[in-house]
Amino acid sequence: MRRRSSALTEVREAPARQERKTATRVLVEHHEVLRGLLRKLTETPRSEPGRRQALADELFDELWMHERIEEDIFYPAVRDITPAIAAAWSEHRQLTDQLAAFVRADPSRERFDRELGVLHDVLVSHAHLDEELEMFPEVERFADADLLVDVGDRLQTRLEQLRSSQRIRAFLRLQRALLRRTAR
Amino acid sequence: MAQRTLDRMLNAIEGDGRLDRPGHRLEHGLAFAENLLGVTQGRARGLLHGVWLGHPLHPTLTDIPIGSWTTALVLDLTGQKRAARTAVGVGIAGALAAMATGLHDWQYTHDNARRIGMVHGALNTLALGLYGWSWLQRGRGHDLRGRLAALLGYPLIMVSGFLGGTLVFRHQIGVDQTVRRLDPRHFTRVLAERDLTDGSPRRVRAGDVEVVLVRADGRVHALENACPHLRGPLSDGWLRDGALTCPWHGSQFELSSGESLNGPATAPAPCFQTRIRDGWIEVRRAPVAATAPPGSALVHQQEVQP
Repeated sequence: MRRRSSALTEVREAPARQERKTATRVLVEHHEVLRGLLRKLTETPRSEPGRRQALADELFDELWMHERIEEDIFYPAVRDITPAIAAAWSEHRQLTDQLAAFVRADPSRERFDRELGVLHDVLVSHAHLDEELEMFPEVERFADADLLVDVGDRLQTRLEQLRSSQRIRAFLRLQRALLRRTAR
Repeated sequence: MAQRTLDRMLNAIEGDGRLDRPGHRLEHGLAFAENLLGVTQGRARGLLHGVWLGHPLHPTLTDIPIGSWTTALVLDLTGQKRAARTAVGVGIAGALAAMATGLHDWQYTHDNARRIGMVHGALNTLALGLYGWSWLQRGRGHDLRGRLAALLGYPLIMVSGFLGGTLVFRHQIGVDQTVRRLDPRHFTRVLAERDLTDGSPRRVRAGDVEVVLVRADGRVHALENACPHLRGPLSDGWLRDGALTCPWHGSQFELSSGESLNGPATAPAPCFQTRIRDGWIEVRRAPVAATAPPGSALVHQQEVQP
């Protein structure tokens, strides 16, 4: 079986108990991972479609997991603190849609670069303009500090669970394969 | 009294957070199916939302099952068995079309409206099941069973029709949420020209109106900074194939006219005239011509050269 390239998402050793992170910090760090993958993709030329595809696969999985941990843990926990949750859910849908359009594009074509550009804009809109500039500061200001650290732990644990789960990996591989197979 | 009861029922549905999880699961499934079929980025998207119609398609289709099943009820009373079965069948076909468009609209709603929509859809699905069974039983000659199922299904569609009305009249789903205003009537400075980069939307204020500026194809376009669908901030959006996209639900708007291209917004986003004077971008609302048909003065505007 082909080994996935996972330059940026290698499961690091479990966080030591003393360095506990707040929920928003965990999420911003994961945003960084996603931005890093996007940067790598932009830097990879069209002449290396194999590497582009591998990076696109990794981005697909990471973004999917990011949506899951936010939707399953973070949003329910801060639902009563900020009114921006409904919009954030909708923005995830936009990411999902653009991600699908992106993995369906052929990595050796110009279309791939265009979809990548739009995906970048969609991610900036959700992760930066909405969450990092508006929602997270509001949450940090009004949420209980213990709650934030607690949710941070849960987010990290869940993310590692998702990353190491064979079932999830197989499920994501299937999703990507179906999307690519039906692409026109 | 009845009003209070109905109000309490609506509040109970709207406040029930337990509906969220199944709702989001359903949306994930829908999203995957739509992406597989190519609906999201394709022409079918706008077709299902009713962009071509100028308002949502779903409410026009719901008249088919309600009308047909009412007819079936009357035909059952007068004893015309074959005609009654046909009416039930027509209603089922209409209900399927209404289901497709309804789900498509529902996935782009928020919070309370979303929960009402869940119950609305669940009741309709139940009614559709009953009428489907009724149709089958009638075909096999079990007329009494068929009538009974129809009799059970009818109150369900009445209640869910009421919930559908709630979505429009209480939550303004599918209603053009643009605030119709006339200002600024005169050209107003909003931004230094050099501060507007190509292809990235920028939020500015003209008086107390929020405007989004976009520079594309060597021109400066200005649209009102609220999506007509649910007032999403267009300035947080992005350009896709030269159209400004709402960050919340992905409605795309043509820059030069504000026309919606794919939904869920079915109404155009109001645009402004723009011009550049002394290195400043200025915008104003186009003068409304009272003789023009409604909407036409807001749309199809042009950049005015100094």
